[in-house]
Amino acid sequence: MIGGDVRLDGGAAPHLLLTVPELQADPISVEAVAPAPCTMACPAGVNVKAYVSLIAEGRFAEALDEVRRRCTLPSVCGRICHAPCEPACTRSVVDGPLAIRALKRFVADVGDDDRVVAPVAVSKDQAVAVIGSGPAGLTAAHDLRRAGYQVTIFEAKPELGGMLRYGIADYRLPPDVLDAEIAAVLGVGIDVETGHELSSYEDVTALMEGGYDAVLVAVGAQRGRLLAIPGEDDSAAIEDALGFLRRVNEGDRTSVEGKVIVIGGGSTAIEAARTALRLGARPVEILYRRSRDEMPAGHEEVVQAEAEGVTFRFLAAPQRAVIRDGRLTGIECLEMELGEPDGDGRRRPVPIPDSTFFAESDRVLAAVGQEAVLDFVPNDDAAMVDRGLLAADEGTSMTRWWGVFAAGDVVSGPATVIEAIAAGHEAADSIAAYLETGTPRLPRSLHAPAVEYGLADPPPVESPPVPAPVLGLEPGDEFAEVEQAYTADQAVAEAGRCLRCGPCSECAACAVTCDRRHLLVGLAPDGATRPRTWLPLRTTAAVAGRLRANGSAAGGVASASGDTTDAAVEVRPVVVDYVEERCRGCSLCLDVCQFEALALRNPDDPESRVVLDPAACRGCALCAAVCPTAALRPAAHADGWWDAVLAAIFEPDTGDEAGPAVVVTCDTRPHAGSPAEGDVVACRCVGQVHPGMLLELARRGATRITVETCADCRFEDGARLAQQHVEETSALLAALGGDATSVTLVPAARPGAPDQAGAVSDALAMALRGEGG
Amino acid sequence: MVTLTELKKDTRALLCNSCAKCSTACPLDGFAGFSPVRMVSVGPTADEVREQAVAAQRCLTCSLCEIRCPQGVHIAEFARGLRREATDGLREPCPHGQVFQAAAVPEWAGRVPSRDLSWIDEDLRVAETGEIALFVGCLPLFDALFEDRFGVRTTDIARSAIRALNQLGIEPVVVAEERCCGHDLLWGGDDDGFATLARANADSFAARGVELILTTCAECCRTWRLDYPEAVPEYQPRVQHLVEYLDERLQADELAFRDDDTARTVTYQDPCRLGRHLGVTDAPRRLLDAAPGVELAEMDRSGADAVCCGTAGFIHCDAASRRLQAERLASASDTGATTLLTACPKCLIHFACAQNEDGRRNRPSPAIEVEDLTIFTTRMLAGLEASSPGTNGERTEAVT
Ligand SMILES: Cc1cc2nc3c(=O)[nH]c(=O)nc-3n(C[C@H](O)[C@H](O)[C@H](O)COP(=O)(O)OP(=O)(O)OC[C@H]3O[C@@H](n4cnc5c(N)ncnc54)[C@H](O)[C@@H]3O)c2cc1C
Ligand code: SF4
Ligand code: SF4
Ligand code: SF4
Ligand code: SF4
Repeated sequence: MIGGDVRLDGGAAPHLLLTVPELQADPISVEAVAPAPCTMACPAGVNVKAYVSLIAEGRFAEALDEVRRRCTLPSVCGRICHAPCEPACTRSVVDGPLAIRALKRFVADVGDDDRVVAPVAVSKDQAVAVIGSGPAGLTAAHDLRRAGYQVTIFEAKPELGGMLRYGIADYRLPPDVLDAEIAAVLGVGIDVETGHELSSYEDVTALMEGGYDAVLVAVGAQRGRLLAIPGEDDSAAIEDALGFLRRVNEGDRTSVEGKVIVIGGGSTAIEAARTALRLGARPVEILYRRSRDEMPAGHEEVVQAEAEGVTFRFLAAPQRAVIRDGRLTGIECLEMELGEPDGDGRRRPVPIPDSTFFAESDRVLAAVGQEAVLDFVPNDDAAMVDRGLLAADEGTSMTRWWGVFAAGDVVSGPATVIEAIAAGHEAADSIAAYLETGTPRLPRSLHAPAVEYGLADPPPVESPPVPAPVLGLEPGDEFAEVEQAYTADQAVAEAGRCLRCGPCSECAACAVTCDRRHLLVGLAPDGATRPRTWLPLRTTAAVAGRLRANGSAAGGVASASGDTTDAAVEVRPVVVDYVEERCRGCSLCLDVCQFEALALRNPDDPESRVVLDPAACRGCALCAAVCPTAALRPAAHADGWWDAVLAAIFEPDTGDEAGPAVVVTCDTRPHAGSPAEGDVVACRCVGQVHPGMLLELARRGATRITVETCADCRFEDGARLAQQHVEETSALLAALGGDATSVTLVPAARPGAPDQAGAVSDALAMALRGEGG
Repeated sequence: MVTLTELKKDTRALLCNSCAKCSTACPLDGFAGFSPVRMVSVGPTADEVREQAVAAQRCLTCSLCEIRCPQGVHIAEFARGLRREATDGLREPCPHGQVFQAAAVPEWAGRVPSRDLSWIDEDLRVAETGEIALFVGCLPLFDALFEDRFGVRTTDIARSAIRALNQLGIEPVVVAEERCCGHDLLWGGDDDGFATLARANADSFAARGVELILTTCAECCRTWRLDYPEAVPEYQPRVQHLVEYLDERLQADELAFRDDDTARTVTYQDPCRLGRHLGVTDAPRRLLDAAPGVELAEMDRSGADAVCCGTAGFIHCDAASRRLQAERLASASDTGATTLLTACPKCLIHFACAQNEDGRRNRPSPAIEVEDLTIFTTRMLAGLEASSPGTNGERTEAVT
């Protein structure tokens, strides 16, 4: 166990070694607090598993509170979120994913009718200007206002909401729902100036000089692209879909006559087609240059549009607008086929030669992309504008313009509501850090520490998905909301399908495949994003005790009651840390590796560097001890192991004049019974402890340093290297005027532990394969 | 804490007009994404500062860029300033297991170490107090690690220095409680550690009445001459590289070379700290010019334009270092010289490492011997036996 035996009254080692059997023999069970695939898939880090589980238990108000922790607009998202959580749902492979979005809508509708949002007191003397009131702007304003800053939203339009109001149509997102949602956001005390467009550089600098300490640009991507085909400028019957939708959403319900063709495959195209249909157009056809599978629009939108009568023509691209006597008669198109995948992984459409056809139409709506309108950026600064969008630092959301931040579609290009919300949170965090410290915030995890709800174990349910009710198109009430909410019973039933996934499925495959016998286990720092290799660990007293002992300062573990711990731990094999960029190709390491884990990339090339085969490496880190450039380093060291060891030994100062004695030993040996007295530094191989480390121990005041070598080094060369290091350290100490005799080498007297771990995991592997008897 | 704006002001980086002349001059430019112009024009986000603080650790601080910079930006100083920002695990690990950083740290658990001076041979005369001192530096530490590995014994440089001084009738002060000069701490971004070291050293030397400090290391020389006066303003001794001192004595006719008619062609590596940082390029050449039978063949790039040996201090080493070492050795061998001289023990070690590595990798290696200028010069001084111990400059057998 690395670092585990170091005197523990002081610091904490962030990692310790557990054997595979230790992990596997003790039950590792899934806990409600662990991030499930759905939660991981949510751009804003909404804890899906938690709120779905709460709905299953009928705890609707708590569920909505949980949603609100990361989602500013639950009613909006419950209706129109593109729900990336659903395809990630584990239940997909059983009988279909959970209808997560519909569940959110259900709690948003019923959760807390009687909620009153009270204004939050202003506790900071700084003010932030937010330009734009779409989901990004609203979210950031909400976060910053709740953090105590004064916030003013500047909105060009007469009403708030951005694309939610002027893009997305009423039959999907009724205006009264949006109004209520926005009112709740503003309720915390946000000032609003509508009809105030910031259209020049001076407008923005005036804000900064006029008392705003930071500015957030969340202006979205307001300009719809046209088709760039001949003839399109010659007829008013061809327009961009965004402009059309904006007019309709502003209340213009002029009927649309004749045949309409919509070009594009995203939400805007579907929205425009369904809206045209509602205004009387017949037939309405969507023309898309790729196939159904590549459509960026949400699956449900497409299904609903089809049910309403919108037809689709895939693999077709417009070439020319045909105008006769000043009137649009249709467009000439080319058939396409799908070629190689392009940069974003979707297959690129390629025209089929001589496949021209004519599509008759009275009106064409182009939904082929959006751009940001950035009139306020000084002199088209190329570093600030990147492909029609505003460039902002990914980590801090700050633009090149100091104190001016950006978030949402204006940075990402046309995306989705939940991504705009996520960007709003990020920007707000960064702005708060900037106002607090003068430096914008560096990237931090979106996954806020989970709340524990004390949920019952999930019942093993076997049930088909519960469909949410959908209304048809009713003449006379075309803009009524199409999708309907679950009843409470339906919602509880659907939520009851949740499997409460955690990352570990207890498959024990790691025990079968790992021939390294040891895994490195580290505690997840509070609030860290947990990749799938982070396991929630519930385990026996022995392991919990070791984790607790090691992790008392690393978070979480100390609260473990009895024999369980609620820490998340990372499990990974011990492999030396190698950064090829630092390798100079000296090849010293090749001589010490006993496992052929290192080789020259190309032995014939004199410039060749070394490559590491992580599958062969056993993490002894002997190579790291000889590497002059620190290209190779012990895996644990990379995570601050050595600092923790030093802290544990030398801090706090015990006031002991003499200074501690230190024993460096192999982690296979029980150190109780060692002839050498002192603080034990147990490491994977004593050969990895190089003169720099020994000298550091001496420098900090260790009076005696004893390095114990094993006669039967499991990494073969450990004892020889340890001896060399001790000799070199003695010589260094002599030269420096230290006590050259304080560093000594002794053979370890005690027997090493037999390779029990290996035996158990072999047995386990055999059992899993159904072998043996 | 110095802010980025202050650092930019102090180092004139505010004047940078992004002409990228530094980048064209930098021997590293483009290696692993390093670019001086990007470093100097860093800003404004914290991310960028961090990114460049990490990148700055690659900079050789060799100052080749500075002699091209039309705005006179102190680029190496700027890199040094940025390195202070590289905390929280962003600091690149130093080569050789940080051993020299561990050795340099001033707090030896409250103890004042008294160095082992047994390397000073019986026949060498040193003093406890006096006006002239030899600052030995890390030479004995280097021996502990590198003598066995690639057969350079750098204490020979100090032995030669004492021998030469004795020859001039001087018994230099050698201070047992001497510490590391702090060069690597300073250039690694640890200003506080450096200041503590500087004070401790200044106190010891001042207490011995020292008024002239001689070094055999270009880095020690630069540090004592340029950086100590800032850290310890009240103690301002004269500081010279031994080569400068010998040159002065030679000009004053107090020093002479032995007659020797063996003809030898040598070439000279100007250490960055001595050449560019201190502007000492003539003294070593005057010495060599006066030495009998010695012909100096200059490398393609020499003097203020000399290319760095690939590593400044023991702060960073990687493939770029190797490439520079290989190129420099080739360039030296192209002059037709048989010996490459340098006035910095670190250049010596870095070149020896590269040669040793060539041997291990069976790479063709330029046929040239690398030697220290102090040893080379002392060996030829009149009145000194060629075979005196410590002046023969012979390598001990490499054990690999
Ligand atoms: C038709 C359509 C359908 C969509 N359907 C979906 C869907 O089903 N699901 C989904 O997740 N996403 C959907 N989206 C995408 C989603 O609406 C956007 O990604 C999201 O609204 C972007 O939020 P934002 O805050 O960045 O910008 P926006 O919502 O665009 O808000 C920007 C605001 O800034 C204001 N503004 C602009 N310039 C200025 C200025 N100079 N001064 C002052 N104010 C200014 C604008 O008037 C606007 O109110 C759809 C988009 C459209 C257009
Ligand atoms: S089954 Fe439940 S926990 Fe698992 S992914 Fe689906 S919603 Fe999330
Ligand atoms: S850590 Fe050990 S096994 Fe892994 S590459 Fe280095 S020497 Fe080989
Ligand atoms: S010891 Fe280090 S520098 Fe040398 S070849 Fe191995 S990895 Fe590269
Ligand atoms: S100091 Fe040297 S390494 Fe640094 S930028 Fe200048 S030329 Fe390049």
